[in-house]
Amino acid sequence: MTTETPENLNFRLGMIRRHLKGVGRVVLVLSGKGGVGKSVISAALAAQLAGAGKRVGLIDADVYGPSAALLFNSNSLPEENEGGLTPPMVDGVNLMSVDLFASGRPIPLTGHGASQVVLELLALTDWGKLDFLIVDMPPATGDIMLTLTSVGGNQLEAIVVTMPDVLSTSVAHRVLELLHSGGTPTMGVLENMSRSSGRRSVGKGRGPRALAKEFDVKFLGAIPYDPKVAEAVNEQDIGALLSTGFAKELRRSVASRLLQ
Amino acid sequence: MHELSLVNGILQAVEETAKENGGNVKSFKVGVGELAQFDLRIVRQLLEDTRRGTPLQDVEVAIEVEQSKMRCMSCGNEWNFRQLSGQMSEEEKEMVHFLPELLNSFAKCPSCSGSFFEIESGRSVRLIEVVFDD
Repeated sequence: MTTETPENLNFRLGMIRRHLKGVGRVVLVLSGKGGVGKSVISAALAAQLAGAGKRVGLIDADVYGPSAALLFNSNSLPEENEGGLTPPMVDGVNLMSVDLFASGRPIPLTGHGASQVVLELLALTDWGKLDFLIVDMPPATGDIMLTLTSVGGNQLEAIVVTMPDVLSTSVAHRVLELLHSGGTPTMGVLENMSRSSGRRSVGKGRGPRALAKEFDVKFLGAIPYDPKVAEAVNEQDIGALLSTGFAKELRRSVASRLLQ
Repeated sequence: MHELSLVNGILQAVEETAKENGGNVKSFKVGVGELAQFDLRIVRQLLEDTRRGTPLQDVEVAIEVEQSKMRCMSCGNEWNFRQLSGQMSEEEKEMVHFLPELLNSFAKCPSCSGSFFEIESGRSVRLIEVVFDD
């Protein structure tokens, strides 16, 4: 008689793989660093792809600072069904976030607790058929990134977002190194809140364009700082966000490539 | 009814483990954490209904309730979910039913009112072991 040990029995990983089977492409939006605009980029990108007629999901994997529910101005709870939880559809996007459950309350979790929440959300969410699942990643290179890159399979690709300053590009460099060593396909580097079109970093160091070249991935574009983004975010109005110059550049740099 | 999704996940994991091991499953054990607040009769019934007509139909299944234990990271106090009964609304308990870690959002240490505590046991459903005939 043999007994299988618990480490091999994390059945949630199998549930995640099965729930991702109907998803065409899983796009991780990550930077390693907070404050570079990942959440706004993820939300706008999801809404743009949905606006182009694609079936789109967005999961907010930043459980310490979830913002997708705020950006989409949604507090609808997912619905229970036999396959798990059906995410609410908001502005054409199937939205899943821990904040739909926590409703703005603090979420004081250990690192292990945070990755458990993301695992549970991914295991329970019944996405159905999607063309794209956009994953708004947390600002870290820990368990959540490791889990997602290990279960995403061959649908997975990453977009690394960075600002032009050396603090952002140095962390983006580490993220690219991890993606490269883990064999995760990387769509490219996207510069946000740009002042220099990716040619050089602010201060000493490599610019986003050089970063892309070093890792042999595309430099997707440089999106200039746009004060209208803050206005649209404050209004929690995705429509207003999509009408900004920021969104126009994002469409050109990323959404149009994903739609090709 | 997301219990069914979890039960299906467990059964599929048992079947996959059996395939990997190339052996016949003799029994498996499922732990149901107190924080998930599942009705055990429903979990048991779902386990019976879902494996009917599958290779796992006649396998022994043990279901074990796992009591919750939380430990405050500020004062070291240990407590369980039942001790929080007056502290949380039904709606908040329902959120914990979906995502047990959200206990950290809705409850505080009964001793020092601290928000930073660890859930040491009893969080949700888990597959504890699968035993094979050699």
